[in-house]
Amino acid sequence: MNAIETALGLVFQPSVLVTILIAALFGLVVGAIPGLTATMAIALLVPVTFFMDPVPAVGAMVTCSAMAIFAGDIPGTLLRIPGTPASAAYTDEAYAMTRNGEGEIALGANLLFSALGGLFGTFVLIVAAPALAEVALRFSSFEYFWLALLGLTCAVFVGTSSQVRGLLSLFLGLFVSTIGLDNPAGVPRFTFGNTELTGGVNFIAAMIGLFAVSEVFRFVIAPKGQAVPQEVMGNLFRGWGRMATHYWRQQLRGNIVGTAIGILPGSGADIAAWVSYALSKKMSRTPDRFGKGHVEGIIESTSANNAALAGAWVPALVFGIPGDSITAIVIGVLYLKNMNPGPTIFMNNPEYIYAVFIIFILANIVMVPLGWAAIKAARVILLIPREILMPCILMFCIVGAFAINNSAFGVAVMLVFGVLGFLMEENDIPVAPCILGIVLGPMLEENFVTSMIKSDGSFVAFFERPISGALGVATVLVWVVPLLRAFRRSPKARRVVPGS
Amino acid sequence: MRVNDSLIGAVLLVGAIAMFAYARTLPALPGQEYGAAVFPMLIALGLGGCGLVLLASGVRHWEGAVTWNTWARSHHAWAKLATVFALILAYILAAQVVGFVVTSILILLVFLIVMGVRWWVAASVALAATLLIQQTFAGLLRVPLPLGLFGLG
Repeated sequence: MNAIETALGLVFQPSVLVTILIAALFGLVVGAIPGLTATMAIALLVPVTFFMDPVPAVGAMVTCSAMAIFAGDIPGTLLRIPGTPASAAYTDEAYAMTRNGEGEIALGANLLFSALGGLFGTFVLIVAAPALAEVALRFSSFEYFWLALLGLTCAVFVGTSSQVRGLLSLFLGLFVSTIGLDNPAGVPRFTFGNTELTGGVNFIAAMIGLFAVSEVFRFVIAPKGQAVPQEVMGNLFRGWGRMATHYWRQQLRGNIVGTAIGILPGSGADIAAWVSYALSKKMSRTPDRFGKGHVEGIIESTSANNAALAGAWVPALVFGIPGDSITAIVIGVLYLKNMNPGPTIFMNNPEYIYAVFIIFILANIVMVPLGWAAIKAARVILLIPREILMPCILMFCIVGAFAINNSAFGVAVMLVFGVLGFLMEENDIPVAPCILGIVLGPMLEENFVTSMIKSDGSFVAFFERPISGALGVATVLVWVVPLLRAFRRSPKARRVVPGS
Repeated sequence: MRVNDSLIGAVLLVGAIAMFAYARTLPALPGQEYGAAVFPMLIALGLGGCGLVLLASGVRHWEGAVTWNTWARSHHAWAKLATVFALILAYILAAQVVGFVVTSILILLVFLIVMGVRWWVAASVALAATLLIQQTFAGLLRVPLPLGLFGLG
């Protein structure tokens, strides 16, 4: 109980609450502006949180990401452009509702079920994380190796459309993680005599490049013109009671599926929303109404993406394995704050864990009034000229990358990764596996080399312990099943090609 | 601008071979077989594998080395890309000499005008944004932003 009291004391301080409020507003604005994603919001926030105490830093990131994922629904509904990729699944549906004059119902549903989905995910996080941590205490390097590998594998095979491109991105990230002195033998690798590189490639600078600077590049080549949003008048709270009672099944299913997909390493809010929308259509009694402005699918998928956000924190806190690219960034920050994720944090610093839980609950509750305000202010936010916004964002990125070590080297790293991120997106190579590779690379390597030394080079040892064996088999299956499917499909494909 | 898969594959393959060769020279832990070399060598194998697959698929779907999409055919787009790149480079090179405030105002001003913002709007935004960032980072977060040789920042 004492830890909970300490945690409450840590969170309910004016400075922490003000930080959370500012982060919430920032998340709402960034999420609502098309082209600026939730991951970018976090990337821009990190250099600022870098200088804060652990609790406000983590609180700011939790709140900012939750708000950004919700706010992504606003331009989806008003402009038919999703604010973040997590809203893309039901953008057409929500816009159709606006066209039918039911925009306020769509936005109201987004607000209510985002908040409820977030609370559900938080509830699972609170129940599951400490229980899993008990199990994780018995884990050795073998289990951690498989967990890290499973996380990376899922990121490639679940989260991307082309596995080769996903793998390529992952290997690039892993390569970047090997640069510097931080390796089992403590020798400089790939530094080529550069002293700045001996400390490794700073992951914050890399991430600002990959997620923010690449967007600036993409913006300057985009055709001009900014769409004018539809106007939504009327009462946002209309129909809340009816929707909650009538669609409780959809909501519950969205919550459960969303949380589960969030917990699964490597897949996050965007995949949760797509899966839930498809599932909702499949299970619906009126699938023919989908796509024409029907609230059912929106409820299910908007619940799912916010639930996934909290779910992704389960593996992040317990094992240090990110559930999505946002938690990948968060894990990097936790290490910087000496809040090293892993089961021991539940014993050594339980007050921090409780503080995270409290902030999650708080964020999803204040989402309702702040979200309401954001919807009311949506026209103003969406009319901010992008030509003015983007240069300011670039300057912010530069200063952020500079501030980490107070050196221009950070800016150079950011520039390199900005160009890399831009080229990758242009060629349909996903960026998320790369950032997961950078974050998980050291953990994967350390546990791999330790395990190999322990087992005298025998791979059999990786399967000898029961949990390690099960994780190993699961990982191998994720690799083998798509390959088998491809093989089974290929004779047919070959037969079709000559005829076509 | 879509580069053909076979070119991406070829670059990866060359990179992977170089990486593998370099990684082999890394020492192991004293008295152990496994050390700093294992992991980079495995990554090099993975990258090389991806390179080979892309190389093969790119050759099968060859439509020229690079497919130019709409933006890539416009000189304006390339000029703007080059400007942003040059502006970031300018910060790296100039900030220590002329200081943060001057560099930031100039970078913002050039970027805004290139994006077609009217000069007086650009000037006020450049000033306001620089002040805000300077106050947040140098004032609130105590980041020692470069002052420059003349102490103007």
